[in-house]
Amino acid sequence: MARGSPTFLDRLLHVDRRLIFLFVALSVTVPILVPLGLPVSTTAPTQAAYDYIESLRPGDYVWLSFDYGPSSAPENDPMAEGFMRHCLSKDLKVIVCALYPLGGLGLANNSMARVAAEFPNKQYGVDYINLGYKDGAEAVMRTLGANIADAFPTDVNGRNLSEFPMFGATPSKREDGMVVGHTLGIKSIKEVKVVFTAATGLIGEYWITLVNSQFGTPVIIGPTAVSAPKYYAFLSSGQLKGMLGGMKGAAEYEQLLIKNRPDLAELYGATKLFTATKGMDAQTGIHLVIILFILIGNVAFFLFRMREAKEGGR
Amino acid sequence: MNIQPGIVILWIFFGVLPIVGFLLGLRAPAMRRQVPLVLAFLAGIIPILSIYIPKVFLADPDIGMSPRLDKYLIIVAGFALPLGIVNVIQNSSRRAARREKGWPYSVVLLFGLFVTGALGIYGAVTGEGIGFRQDGTSTPFKWIEDNAFRPLQATIFALLAVFMASAAFRAFRARNTEATILLIAGVLVMMGRVPLLEFLTAPFPGLQPAAAQGSRTLGLLTEWIMNVPNSAAQAGIIIGAALGAAAMAIRVILGIERSYLGLEKGE
Repeated sequence: MARGSPTFLDRLLHVDRRLIFLFVALSVTVPILVPLGLPVSTTAPTQAAYDYIESLRPGDYVWLSFDYGPSSAPENDPMAEGFMRHCLSKDLKVIVCALYPLGGLGLANNSMARVAAEFPNKQYGVDYINLGYKDGAEAVMRTLGANIADAFPTDVNGRNLSEFPMFGATPSKREDGMVVGHTLGIKSIKEVKVVFTAATGLIGEYWITLVNSQFGTPVIIGPTAVSAPKYYAFLSSGQLKGMLGGMKGAAEYEQLLIKNRPDLAELYGATKLFTATKGMDAQTGIHLVIILFILIGNVAFFLFRMREAKEGGR
Repeated sequence: MNIQPGIVILWIFFGVLPIVGFLLGLRAPAMRRQVPLVLAFLAGIIPILSIYIPKVFLADPDIGMSPRLDKYLIIVAGFALPLGIVNVIQNSSRRAARREKGWPYSVVLLFGLFVTGALGIYGAVTGEGIGFRQDGTSTPFKWIEDNAFRPLQATIFALLAVFMASAAFRAFRARNTEATILLIAGVLVMMGRVPLLEFLTAPFPGLQPAAAQGSRTLGLLTEWIMNVPNSAAQAGIIIGAALGAAAMAIRVILGIERSYLGLEKGE
């Protein structure tokens, strides 16, 4: 260590953490205030997720589970809302639930209200529905395999599921008003074409190990960036149809929507939404700061070891 | 009324047996240990049997014992929440009463718990719920969630980025071979996940094509790291953890592991 007054090398080795905090603050706030519009490339797991949704037919049922809380909302919100927009734009029927206890329901309510307002021609209970929150994620998932109404007897507003055409028997009417038959609603999660779980923690894994492995329902996951590495093993094994890894994955999905779906491109371009694409500017800034400080730390570390070796050799 | 034998058996075991066990347990304390062990064995063995012997009384979605047990499990899971609330109230009130270090935080926690809980119960009782009202306005519960809970949670998580940067500077050093491999992989992944080269060359438009090509290469390298070494290691960890969980489940079902009852082995 330094003898007497600290040298430049000592200062480099022990950078004041407040200086690091200042750089972090600048690297995040500046790109948010002055968007850079950096390009976003597409990775294979996101492309696979997008392609799978594209392969579905109008009228197919999809399931969206809000399995995260406010702490990871900046990462998970854009992916959940992007998925919902994609599905409603393709005339898929979206069933929403929340299994995360710390605020998952509030996030589901907010996102659904936001996205539903963008699709005024879509009808609650016919094109999309919010089943609300249920405690005991694993038990809920196993029950969904038998009967959705056993796990969620009512929607988030307390209305019986059988009241909604998505779940009950609906008289099919001709244009002249004559009843010509009944369309049966969905009963089990086995009939759902895909489950999308925007997840933090373990709940995302339960969807794979319980719903995909036991009932065969395809699963796409949108995990936070820190938990994304774990899910590559499930992608390799074919247990996941695709993955939107962290804010990067969400930004990739947004870019695919903008590129391929003109109605959504207009929406993403015209509104003042917080999008993952905007968030990627800030993420790039923070990655740069972290890499720079790691480099500085290592250069100082090697110089220090060289100085010690030299002093030891005297 | 159509009485299903599987459901009757479940009611006998999970409804009558605990009550009889409790009453007998008042006279013979051993019953307090034996009855929970029997219930754990049945709750564990019925779902397993329903997979290997998919008979109607075991596996049918409407009348089977295993799907019925799943429904009971949702109810049992719901009881975990009141238990957690009781625990928080006990610990926090004790800390506040004894004026232990940081006791004002416990008071704030209890205040938040009671106010938010009361508003949630109010929403349930009045029928307006805990989300949006019919006219689209927020209920008081939702107002607290949006204006207090969400910002606080987001703030705590946002601090992670600040501390990660500081910790990475101090800890991510090439001290030995393993640390160097981790360091290189970490930096490559961080570079490959964001358009860093485009960001750095933004003031120089002539360098942008080369930067884009570099980013693509880094992206491919990152995907390889994630798909091959990372995936292999993660698969090993997941399989190991699953085998461990299965072994523990067998111990619980067979009554070897009794710590969940507060008992030691052999008790």
